[in-house]
Order: sequence, then structure tokens, then C-alpha cells
Amino acid sequence: MDVFNELLGGFATALTWQNLLFAFLGCLLGTMIGVLPGIGPVAGVALLIPLTLNMDATGSIIMLCAIFYGTTYGGTITSVLLNTPGEAASAITTLDGYAMTRLGRAGAALTIAAVGSFVGGTVATIGLVAAAKPLGALGLLIGPPEFFALVTVGITLLVALAGKSVVRALISGALGLLIAMVGIDPVAGAPRFTFGSERLLDGVSFVAVIVGVFGLSEILAYRASKMPGTVHSPGFRSLLPHRTEWRRSAPAMARGTGIGFGLGLIPGMTGSVSSLLSYGAERKFSRYRDQLGHGAVEGVAGPETANNAHANGALIPLFTLGIPASPTIAVLMGAFLQQGLTPGPTLFAENSEIAWAIIASLFIGNVLLVILNVPLVGLWTSILKVPYPILSALILLFMVIGAYTINFTVFDVFVMIAFGVLGLCLRHLDIPLAPMVLTLVLGPLMERSLRESLEISQGSFEVFYTRPITAALLVLALVIVCSPLLKLRKPKALADEDPES
Amino acid sequence: MTTESPTTQPVPSRPRERPARSVLIGQAAFSLLGLYVLYGSWGLGLWTSLGPGPGLFPFAMGAVLFLMSLIWFVQEQRHPSVPKEDVEVSQVATVIGSLLVLAAALPFLGFQVALFVFLMYHLRLRARVGWVKAVVISVLGSVGVFYLFTLGLKVSLPVASVLPFSLIGL
Repeated sequence: MDVFNELLGGFATALTWQNLLFAFLGCLLGTMIGVLPGIGPVAGVALLIPLTLNMDATGSIIMLCAIFYGTTYGGTITSVLLNTPGEAASAITTLDGYAMTRLGRAGAALTIAAVGSFVGGTVATIGLVAAAKPLGALGLLIGPPEFFALVTVGITLLVALAGKSVVRALISGALGLLIAMVGIDPVAGAPRFTFGSERLLDGVSFVAVIVGVFGLSEILAYRASKMPGTVHSPGFRSLLPHRTEWRRSAPAMARGTGIGFGLGLIPGMTGSVSSLLSYGAERKFSRYRDQLGHGAVEGVAGPETANNAHANGALIPLFTLGIPASPTIAVLMGAFLQQGLTPGPTLFAENSEIAWAIIASLFIGNVLLVILNVPLVGLWTSILKVPYPILSALILLFMVIGAYTINFTVFDVFVMIAFGVLGLCLRHLDIPLAPMVLTLVLGPLMERSLRESLEISQGSFEVFYTRPITAALLVLALVIVCSPLLKLRKPKALADEDPES
Repeated sequence: MTTESPTTQPVPSRPRERPARSVLIGQAAFSLLGLYVLYGSWGLGLWTSLGPGPGLFPFAMGAVLFLMSLIWFVQEQRHPSVPKEDVEVSQVATVIGSLLVLAAALPFLGFQVALFVFLMYHLRLRARVGWVKAVVISVLGSVGVFYLFTLGLKVSLPVASVLPFSLIGL
């Protein structure tokens, strides 16, 4: 009952016209980012952080969360209409989604995807509500040693995001941590790697780095051959699926919800893995599995439900433990920190009103996405018809604004350009970018909590193995690090197919 | 369709694959960076009476960077990875060049003038968009976005500091 009351309080805050507007704008921008080629969800969320800095913390996080889950739906539109996934988690939808477009059922595929996303997202948010209170109660037991252990668990997840090479993932992770170390040391106050520059005393701007590495480098690496083909906007009448399509989608949505939500809880599993496994489940369990790949509605309903259930489910480790499960969520965590909120058990203890308002907004956002996306499909397809050179010029414009408005200085624009070049080099060398963003966000927290812990214990490491929660979490971190040896990692076939690693 | 039997044709010996030059340059750069960080963080102090000093974390990361670069080098010598497709150098140069000029010009020309020129360059000269369309998009993207941010979102953007633009408030 207590949870229900707090959730109702959250709805009261989230339903104010300002917060509704932020959720609406977030869904709109998120879908647009998902649709646009040349800008992924990581850069998209990072790019819009500066715009939210002047807002209050609740409105800002509501908008950024809406952008985050809006991108998962936006990616579907290009998968279905163009055979080109707008973002990685929608890649598998191209198989049946595009086949449905060729059969003249594009509208039905998009509606099924939207409804599936709604179902998956809503069920996962209910899971978040259920998990919030018990895990949030841990907040009172968390001191610097426990926080250090939690962050260590988060950082060890770069093993799960390593993709093909752990060595290259470690290089990426070390680079992220080193970038985060630039500036004044948080405990002793000594300047580190500032090269005598006053501008670097505050460190390198997190947003400029992310926009450069993920956004600008994507534009620099874009090749003319990737240009999308002809786009046909489905008519309004064709948006309504047949009764048989609804009936066939229901079990696929149920399976997708279970898979997406379950995997979303496991940090390091990306949305792509959920949608791939969901498609695998359809291949195995669907009554119409022989039609998969030829325009079967289950091939759209399952993976699309799974990736949205995953996106919302992945917020559970962030909200309750402060562990970002994917690069986009790490950026979202960066936005929390910029607003003075620390995600994790302490969030519910210290900022319970904001936390519940954000959770309530997730329900609202999922409703908004269905209302917004299905009727507006014509608008999204018209964006796809804009020639890429025009789009890229406008994206560059917003990158410059995003970088400039962090500290209102052109220095951050230069930082963004430099990191764009670095991102391009890393892409060319096949070094994964995901571990970098993880350590960039978690690195400073890890260092600060370690040093605070050791100050409390006066330099003794006993503090890490005499406190039960700390010891248990550190053992968990060790298991994650050793998971490649224990064969606990995701299957190789999935790791190879996972474009987000 | 070939009529030659595979047995009659001598199998050409496959030249030993070597790591791509760009990979070697990358490994060298990361190793050097790792060494520089090791040296710099040593000077910051690794340990104090209260625990880790400001140099400990960077020192550890420098060591990871250096060691991983060496391991990667050895791995590449044994099994060279397939290089990714080359980037379009001209595109990279024009985008980076235009962004550098824009960033340098922003404090002098202000947001509206600098962005108008930037967008016109990309739309008219690079993308060959028609004059009318290019001007309309550039005006909306510079003047329009300036007022959207400054008046609508209360986010200030730079104004011109040089004549004659500063006189007319651009």
C-alpha cells in the first residue's frame, strides 16, 4: 500500500503540464533520433543533456528517459520501412518487418510493434515498481565501501560489453577512466593531466566527450553507400492489423516481455541480445515458425516487445543499484549526476519524490509513444525522405550547440571535435566504444568511494571484507571478471551478432 | 563459368598476412600514452598515509593501457585482424575543417553569422542543394535556432563581437 501511495504521488508530479510536456517532447525527440541515420541513442541522449540543465531535476530526467525509450521505437520504423535498422536493437526486426512492408502490411507491422513496445515497457515498469521499495531500502545500509563495491560490479561489466576482444575492451575502458581523471583530484585537490590549462581544471566535459565519440565520429564514418532507399509512407487504413494478426502477436508479445524483462535485469546484456533471443524463441515455439523471415507478424511482435521490455527493465539496476546496464543508460546516469542525483539505493532514501515521479512518467511515456507513433508514422517517414547531407548539416549544428551550452565556451566545441576524431580512430581500429562510456561515468565514482572508504578505515583494506554487503558485491564482481573463464558470458554467436558490444 | 580443373592449376602460395599499418600506429600511440600516464601519475604520488594518492588510479590505468597495447600487438602479429573499410578522407577533412573554423569564428562572428555561413557551406557547396532551399534552411538553422534557444529555452548563445555584426546585434 505504501508503494501504491508513493506511486500515486509520483503520478501527481508527473502529470503536471510541464512534466507531461517534457515527456511528450522526449518521446518525440527520441523517436526522431531512432529514425535518423547517423545519430544513435547514446549520442542523442548526450546531445540533449545540455538543454535540460536549466530545467528542474524531475523534468530533465523525465525528458531524457523518454528520449531513451523513444529511440527504441524510432529504430523500428526504419527497420520496417527501409530494411535499415535505426538502432542496433531493431536489427532483427528487418527480417519480417521489411517482408511485411513488401507484402503491403507495413502499417500493421508498425502498429503491432508500437503495441508490443507498450506492453513490454509497461510490464517492465511494473517490475521496477515492485523492485524499487525492497532494493531502495538497502539505501540506508550503503556507505562508501558498499558504494565502491557496487561501482566495481558496474565497471566489471565491461567484460560483458567486450564484444570480440577483451583486450581492446580494456583499452577502451582504460581510456574512459583516464579521460575522467583529467582535472582536479576530488579528494586531495591536486590537478591531474591538465597541461597547465585552467580550462581543464574542471575536467573534460562528459557531454562533449560522448557527443564527439559517439555522434560526430558516426557522421565522419558515414559513407554515401549507406544512404537509404525509397520510402513509402503507409496509409492510415493500413495501420490497423487484422484480427488474426492480433491473435498471432499475443503469444509472441508475452514471450518477448519475459525475455526482454529478464535480460534487462542482467547488466551487460544489451537490447540487441534480447531481440535476438526473442526471435530465436519465435523460431522455436511459434505455431507459424515456418513463415518467419517471410513477413510473419511474430517476427515483429516478439523482438519489438523484447527490446522495449529490456529498455525499461534495464532501468531497474540503474534506479535500485546505480549500475548502468548499457552505454545509453550510462549516459543517462551521467545526466542524473549532473542534476545532483546519485542513482542507486540512496536515490529512494534521499530523493524519493523525484524517483517515483520518474517511474510514473515511464508509464505515461509508454502511453504517449503509442498515441504519438502510430498516427504520426507519416511524419517519421517524411524525415527519412530528407537527403542525408541536409540531415548531417543539421545534426552538426545541434552537436555544436550541445557542446557549447555545457559551459558556454567554445573550448568544449574543440573538445567535441577532438573526441570525434578519436572516436573515428577507435571505430577504424575496431575498439568497442561501450566500455569507454561505462568507465567515463563510473570511474570517478569508483575512485572517490575507494578513497573515502580508506580514509574511514585509516588506510586499512579490512573494510572491504568485514562488511557483508561489500564482500558479497566484490565476490560478484570477481565472478563477472572470471566469467569468460567460467564460460558464463553470453554465447559467442550472440556476442558476434550484437552490434552494441 | 570456369572449365579449368582445380587440380591442374597450381595453388598460389598465400602471402603471410601482416597487421594493417593503421593498427600498428594505433598500438604504438596507446603504448606511448600508457607510458606517459605512468610517468605523470608517478609524480602525483601513488600512496599517502590515508590511502591511495591522486596518482594511483591513473597509474593503474596507464599500466593497463600499456600492457593491453603490448598484448594486442602480439595478438596481431599472430592473427592479423581484418581491417575495417577505409573512411572517406575528404569527407572527414571537410567536416572537421569546417567545424574547427566554426568553433574559432563563433566568439567573433556570433552564432547567427557563423552558423549561417557554416550551413550554407555544407548545404550549397557540399550537398549542392538549390540556392533558395539552402538559404531558407540556413536562416532557420542560424537565426531561427538562435531565437528559439535564447527566447524560448532561455539558453544564451554567442553574439558577434566584431563590426559591423556587433552593431546590429547579430
